[in-house]
Amino acid sequence: MSEKPSPEKSSGLSRKRFIGSFVFGLGATLLLPLIEKLPISAQVKLKRFLRPPGAQSEALFLQNCIACGQCANVCPNQCISLYGLEAGLENLGTPRITARAQACILCMACTQVCPTDALEKLEPTKEGKRAVQMGVAVLSEDLCYSFAGRTCGVCYRACPLPGEAMTIGLFEQPHVHAEHCVGCGLCEQACVKMPQAIRIIPRLELENAAKSQTEIS
Amino acid sequence: MKSGRLLLAISIISRIGVVTILCALALLTHYHNLKTAYNHPRLVELSSGKTARFLYQSSDDFLSLFGDPQQVARKSGGMTWSIRLAGIPFTDPVAALSVLAKNRRWELGFALGLIVPLSLAFIFGRVFCSYICPASLLFFSISRLRKLLSPIFFFPDLKINRGFSWGILVGGLSLAVWYSHGIWILILPYFAIGQTIYAGIASGTLSIALGSLVLFCSLDLFLGKQFTCRYVCPTGRLLGFIGRKSPITIQRDSSACLDSCQSCIDVCPMKVQPKYDQSIDCSICGECLTVCPPQCLSIGLRKKNKPFTTPVAHSKSSA
Repeated sequence: MSEKPSPEKSSGLSRKRFIGSFVFGLGATLLLPLIEKLPISAQVKLKRFLRPPGAQSEALFLQNCIACGQCANVCPNQCISLYGLEAGLENLGTPRITARAQACILCMACTQVCPTDALEKLEPTKEGKRAVQMGVAVLSEDLCYSFAGRTCGVCYRACPLPGEAMTIGLFEQPHVHAEHCVGCGLCEQACVKMPQAIRIIPRLELENAAKSQTEIS
Repeated sequence: MKSGRLLLAISIISRIGVVTILCALALLTHYHNLKTAYNHPRLVELSSGKTARFLYQSSDDFLSLFGDPQQVARKSGGMTWSIRLAGIPFTDPVAALSVLAKNRRWELGFALGLIVPLSLAFIFGRVFCSYICPASLLFFSISRLRKLLSPIFFFPDLKINRGFSWGILVGGLSLAVWYSHGIWILILPYFAIGQTIYAGIASGTLSIALGSLVLFCSLDLFLGKQFTCRYVCPTGRLLGFIGRKSPITIQRDSSACLDSCQSCIDVCPMKVQPKYDQSIDCSICGECLTVCPPQCLSIGLRKKNKPFTTPVAHSKSSA
């Protein structure tokens, strides 16, 4: 028997080696955030994004989301896509919705499959839709056709909660009721104006704005 | 010999099956979309072409066998990290650890998904690595490539300590707490491959995970045979640790074993030493069974005998 049988047992040398390799592996992994500094990811950091329905506050969502991609996989509307590195390492693999490209139809399929409750389970009923908080639609009257005297009203027809989240006035002028708007983005997708006259302010930005407001006061 | 070949064949076929399932799950995204949008093969053909029609029609027919196709389709989904097959959730143990570290609680369905992977590891050891892991199929083919090219090139076969992958596990967990769980896409080879397949098929994009896959492949090619499986992958290390006393493992008939023969040690992709009755990290891949000249190795119930030791050699080595 020329070879030593199990050299890694109960000797000080092997323990030292173990700790050395452990620290080496730990260090190598902790270097990973440097990938954000690479030119491939040096795009503008996108922060304007919607999370799928059922998502709680951004911090809570990121805490729960394991980036498994099941929500994107089940989405029949193909509106959920998964982040690469364009929004930083903390958003890697997490879902996003770009409302102007493809808005959420609030079918709630993604909330049913989320394994970690990062997306709260909701039903595709009126009550379920009302519980969604993805953001708030904000209308820019300067851009809107209806406010320029031409009747349009497309955004109102797209709204999943007409009469609650959005009401319509003279010349089909839309009025958003922020307290009822769920931020699904269907109005933004439907808007015939380029650039769109109605936009969703994502929940993250609302949270950040509220945070900075409390810091000022 | 025969049983080893058989095990190898089974492991390759089952891993190809896993890759096929991953591709099918990624294709389900399109199926959901087409089903909701058109719900008719002719309309699918008009909008997306003949291939789409074929795929749509065949998956529709297949899913109809089990009931309402759309409801059945929703029961499966996900990637290698967390997956549902016919409504049964499967959770990666590393995902569970990561959630525990960051969140300090588990959802019920999420925790239930641990049952199958953990019991597999308890009973068979690291079988995930050679029968399920889609990345190990890639690394297996690279090891065959190394063998093929070995007359022309010199490929080193580095041996480092297992502490390395424990370090990666702890580092990954701390990065998951610091950033988010998505960080594992870059660390775990099978998660990277799942992400690559999903991004490629479902959204037609290249995933950043491809970068880490290329890194792992070059490690395998230039540092050692199945280097990633052996020393980098934290999941493999964790499963090996869980299954270190697994009842089913590789067994040696010491009366038939040849003293001078080292073939099982040389061939093992996990650097297990069956010759010295050491079976931690054995993934029951069957490579050693194919080479053992006296055929003294077998897969079976772990015997209660003491681990092989030669006191003289051991004291020499530790000095």
